[in-house]
Amino acid sequence: METVLQVEGLTKVYHSLLTPVGVKAVDGLNLSIRQGETYSMVGPNGSGKTTTLKIILGLIFPTDGKTTIFGKDISDLSVRERIGFLPEDAYLYDVFNGEDLLDFYAGLFGYGKQARKARVEELLTLVGMQANRKVPFRECSKGMRQRLALAQALVNDPELLILDEPTSGLDPAGRHQMTQLILELKRRGKTILLCSHFLAEVEEVCDRVGILYRGKLVGEGTLRELAGEPTEIVISVSGMRSGATKQLAALPTVVDVGDGEVRLGKATGDQLWAVLQALREAGGEIQEVTKPRPSLQDVFVRAIGEVKE
Amino acid sequence: MTPQIGKLILFVGAMLVAGILVMTRKAWMGALAHGWPSVWRIAKMTVAEARRKRVLQAVVVLVVLIIASLNIVSYLSPVEQARMVKDSGLMSITLFGMLLSIFVGAFMIPHEIESRTIYPILAKPVRRYEFLLGKYLGALIILGVIVAILTVVLVGVLLLQAHVIGVPQAGQPDSKFDAAIPAVIFAAVMSYCALAVLTALIMLISAVSSTTMTVIGAILLWGVGSMQSMLYDLSTKMVGASRFVLWLFYHAVPPLQDFDFRTNVANGIPIDAGAAVQALGAGLLYIIVALLFASLFFENRQV
Repeated sequence: METVLQVEGLTKVYHSLLTPVGVKAVDGLNLSIRQGETYSMVGPNGSGKTTTLKIILGLIFPTDGKTTIFGKDISDLSVRERIGFLPEDAYLYDVFNGEDLLDFYAGLFGYGKQARKARVEELLTLVGMQANRKVPFRECSKGMRQRLALAQALVNDPELLILDEPTSGLDPAGRHQMTQLILELKRRGKTILLCSHFLAEVEEVCDRVGILYRGKLVGEGTLRELAGEPTEIVISVSGMRSGATKQLAALPTVVDVGDGEVRLGKATGDQLWAVLQALREAGGEIQEVTKPRPSLQDVFVRAIGEVKE
Repeated sequence: MTPQIGKLILFVGAMLVAGILVMTRKAWMGALAHGWPSVWRIAKMTVAEARRKRVLQAVVVLVVLIIASLNIVSYLSPVEQARMVKDSGLMSITLFGMLLSIFVGAFMIPHEIESRTIYPILAKPVRRYEFLLGKYLGALIILGVIVAILTVVLVGVLLLQAHVIGVPQAGQPDSKFDAAIPAVIFAAVMSYCALAVLTALIMLISAVSSTTMTVIGAILLWGVGSMQSMLYDLSTKMVGASRFVLWLFYHAVPPLQDFDFRTNVANGIPIDAGAAVQALGAGLLYIIVALLFASLFFENRQV
């Protein structure tokens, strides 16, 4: 599969009067995003996510390292014809309404009047802003602003979409709408680079995740790879006799017997079968047997914790 | 250290810039041809944005009222009145034009960076110099429209007064109200050219600094540029380093006062066409150099 975005040894040091030595915002970062993939950079505030995005987009310049998109440097205008960018907190001209804004951004790609009109209609429909097309941007709600900002990022039907905190500041309904829009774009085959604080949303839409901490990539992979193999089995059970707890706890692989829940460590099929038999004998009715994986939140906390140590 | 040195510097500079432009004509003509649609879109957007700014609308209305109010002064002799109306009207155009130039020019680039509206634009196939030129062109259109409105109002006032006061009476030269419309329009056009120079220099400052620094720099430019002869006189009285600094200022800052034909027009003094051409030539040179450097600096600015 073609590599769409390649970041090699990216380093950014900010210098100021107060910090003449410099502050390393990004430290030797390597990234590779493949065509059709949805990749998310997650990390706490100040981990270098936005700085990385700004370097990728050519808004700021790296101290060291190289970034290529579709095999070319961002300064090549043909690259920017194939990408779309949604900035954090939707910075658009607030005196214009949605229709005028999209018309303006479409014009920057050299679309003619008819093509612009058609594209604006298409985008307003996609983001559900047809009814509010004449509302000035400054009078739009946060959700409407984010949807318009997404629409401007899609104005050229980009192959690579870079989204910086697309759900930031949205209420749960707005977050859900935005997530659904991103999933729709994913279905349409877009390559997406997403930065977000909302790990649940990342979990829902992303194929691979990179965890950034203090400018470094401290973990990368699919959620399955990052989470690793499940290390425990959870049996949900009801109606178990209270006196059976001690007997169950003594069984091999059982690590905890709680209220309506028995936790096992790594167990073979026979060992699991033995526990299930014992539960039945104790009068329990088996509800569910699961092998839960750690959530992205768990993985994130673990990865950051390991680096801190 | 005479004005002749200034002329020599201007000539050498013009030759140098012309040489560079001729040698690099393929590159910049190609770039301009490719980038023109983006430049024009950004210029139109800048104008549309300014049109919706209430502050700008209010200021224009205020200045229109000030110029229109010149109509009510009637205690002077017709000659004095014509002089006063032309002088005050042209001064209003210059003064408010300069203030608007600072207001419009200084807030353009830094404000775009501070409010981050520049991000989605630069992420699109728009070169940084195209953005800068688009902003400059937009500013020129805004200032052009405002100067045109103010000039029309001033011309209206002059025509009205000429109509009311009427033609000069025989044997009473003081009864003549000379509206001198072509001269007034010429002076207004020259004021506009001064604004174009000032705005280009403001773009240069704003390409490297914040809004506050740009405003301070623009006011300094305007102040020094409008008092160049005073600066020259002062420099002749100085010695040592201060003399050199003033000399440097005198030659580096555009001679905005050379665009000011208000006194000539108000007093009916013939306009020196050579001086006007020289001012325009120097102005064009300042604009080209300022925009070239602004593009160069802005290309490497971290936004």
